[in-house]
Amino acid sequence: MRRIAGHVVLGALGLACVLPIYWLYAASLRRPGDVHDQSPLPWPLSLANYTDAFAKTDITGMLLNTTVIAAASAVGQLLIALFASYAMAAWRFRGHRVAHLLFVGTWLVPFQVTMLPNYTLLARLGLLETLAGVVVPTLCSALGVLLLREHLLNFPKELLEAARMDGRSSWTILWTVVVPVLRPVLAALGILLFINAWNEYFWPALVLQRSNAVIQLGIRSFMGTEGNDWGPLMATAGLASLPVLLLYLVLQRQIVNAFVRSGLK
Amino acid sequence: MSVGQVAFTAPSGDAALLRRMSTIRLEGLGRRFGAAVAVDDVWLDVADGEFLVLLGPSGCGKSTLLRMIAGLLEPSAGRILLDGADITALPPQHRNLAMVFQSYALYPHLSVSRNIGFPLRARRRSKPEITAKVGEVAALLGLTDLLDRKPRQLSGGQRQRVALGRALVRDPGAFLMDEPLSNLDAALRATTRAELVELHRRLNATVVYVTHDQVEAMTMASRIVLLNEGRVEQAGPPGEVYDAPATVFAARFLGSPAMNLVDAAVTRDGRAHGPGIDLPLGLPDEAAFPERPVTLGVRPERLSIVPEDGAGLRGVVTAVENLGGEEVAHCLVGSSQVAVRGPRPLGARPGDRIGLTAAPAHLHLFDPVSGRRLTWQPAATTAPKE
Repeated sequence: MRRIAGHVVLGALGLACVLPIYWLYAASLRRPGDVHDQSPLPWPLSLANYTDAFAKTDITGMLLNTTVIAAASAVGQLLIALFASYAMAAWRFRGHRVAHLLFVGTWLVPFQVTMLPNYTLLARLGLLETLAGVVVPTLCSALGVLLLREHLLNFPKELLEAARMDGRSSWTILWTVVVPVLRPVLAALGILLFINAWNEYFWPALVLQRSNAVIQLGIRSFMGTEGNDWGPLMATAGLASLPVLLLYLVLQRQIVNAFVRSGLK
Repeated sequence: MSVGQVAFTAPSGDAALLRRMSTIRLEGLGRRFGAAVAVDDVWLDVADGEFLVLLGPSGCGKSTLLRMIAGLLEPSAGRILLDGADITALPPQHRNLAMVFQSYALYPHLSVSRNIGFPLRARRRSKPEITAKVGEVAALLGLTDLLDRKPRQLSGGQRQRVALGRALVRDPGAFLMDEPLSNLDAALRATTRAELVELHRRLNATVVYVTHDQVEAMTMASRIVLLNEGRVEQAGPPGEVYDAPATVFAARFLGSPAMNLVDAAVTRDGRAHGPGIDLPLGLPDEAAFPERPVTLGVRPERLSIVPEDGAGLRGVVTAVENLGGEEVAHCLVGSSQVAVRGPRPLGARPGDRIGLTAAPAHLHLFDPVSGRRLTWQPAATTAPKE
């Protein structure tokens, strides 16, 4: 009985989570005139909103840009996290505690605090309105460093020592032993970072004020002072969520692992 | 793999595996961790082809010593020489030493053949050479059928072999082994022990082997180095360390049950006296002996049960343990526990009053203060000498 009640509650919660996403795709598939229709099933189906969105904005270009940004940001964070955590976990060097505390410290500093200094820095470097400007400040994430550090602290020390005895240097040990063994962890963290970067709206909006180079910004081009163009807006939003949803379907286990491991959500 | 399947077959590959082996010399090696001294001023020579066992209780510094030889730990003092060359400052990858770890430390993402070939790939050997060498080592260790497996698909004994193969494959100057058998079950440990001895005999390799297990040390070592609190307590062939322990610690550490140690006093008549003790020491009777307190030691298997009247040791049996082929009787002599070990049945039951005796040749005397062995040197002085 309690089991059934639990399933009912979980089912209801699951439905509540899925409903907005369902409504997004349902609305995007209605005919342009039916966008405000309240019927739960969109009928007749139409792709007009999608063709409209593709006609009005460069959706393909935006998706490509967003992919590049998200991938670059995820790979950059992963690499830096890997190097930093390897150094912090495998060696006891002078000041390693301080280094760790500093990483924890930067993680605790809210985005709103670093936003303006980062913006001025980008302005001086001439990186405003560029994709690089979106990526560079995100390259080092304390989150990645701290998560990987925990994994590397639990990494069997004898494995590193065996590799040293077998003739590997620290650098080759990283690539021939640490990375292959940690591959599931790195994959999970990479996916997490990719999704975070993909979903980022505020920072790209700040850096790219004059253009809508990424998909999350492309959505706003359908929001006007005279009212919102709901049909293509829903279609664009649907396209923006699609890669992440597909990624989730394919790599469900890894993503759940990533969230569980990060202990964040 | 089952215990019965003894590997190390294929003797044909031996010639290629026979090679230059090395000597290791430790000069005043020491290591501190903060204020704690883990290894203190160790001087040691490991001869070419020697199977040297570092033996001692946990925390005696044996693993620390091995890790310093390996280069995984920096010594606080002293030098390490390999074939006469100072390698103290050399990183492990340049030391030409191979190590077998307690956990085996196999690379979980690599197959058996790639695990074994790992040191050769690190040295950028050619592919055909690696394949040939891995095949040769696998044949020697009976791993040929397992080359494509991952470590997690192997039993403990097989993993241990792979770890050994990874050490063998690169023709190291010497092998360092850190309790490589401690993760095996008792039966497998016994067979692997015999196999390791056989392998050592065949390859004539220099081995430094760390263990806390006295059976491993006794059966495998050509020389035992007994460590206690970071210092060498005694070094010598297993028989010598067992038969003539240099200290009370060495006497207690080897043997099961451990050597009986009772407080007594040597009197002018050349006998040991104490509560329940009146034992001739077999010393030459031309001299009068200065009286002195001693710790009297005798191994349980060297004691025999005799009628109580006039026996050297007199006591009461408190318990009898049945070991299958043998029995151990625990007796109370004076206020000391004394164990007697012999073929079953011993003929003693708890509560029996018994007498015990031992040949003077099997009695050991130690200084009760320093714990060091006392020997009788009639020419030099008239007193038992430390």
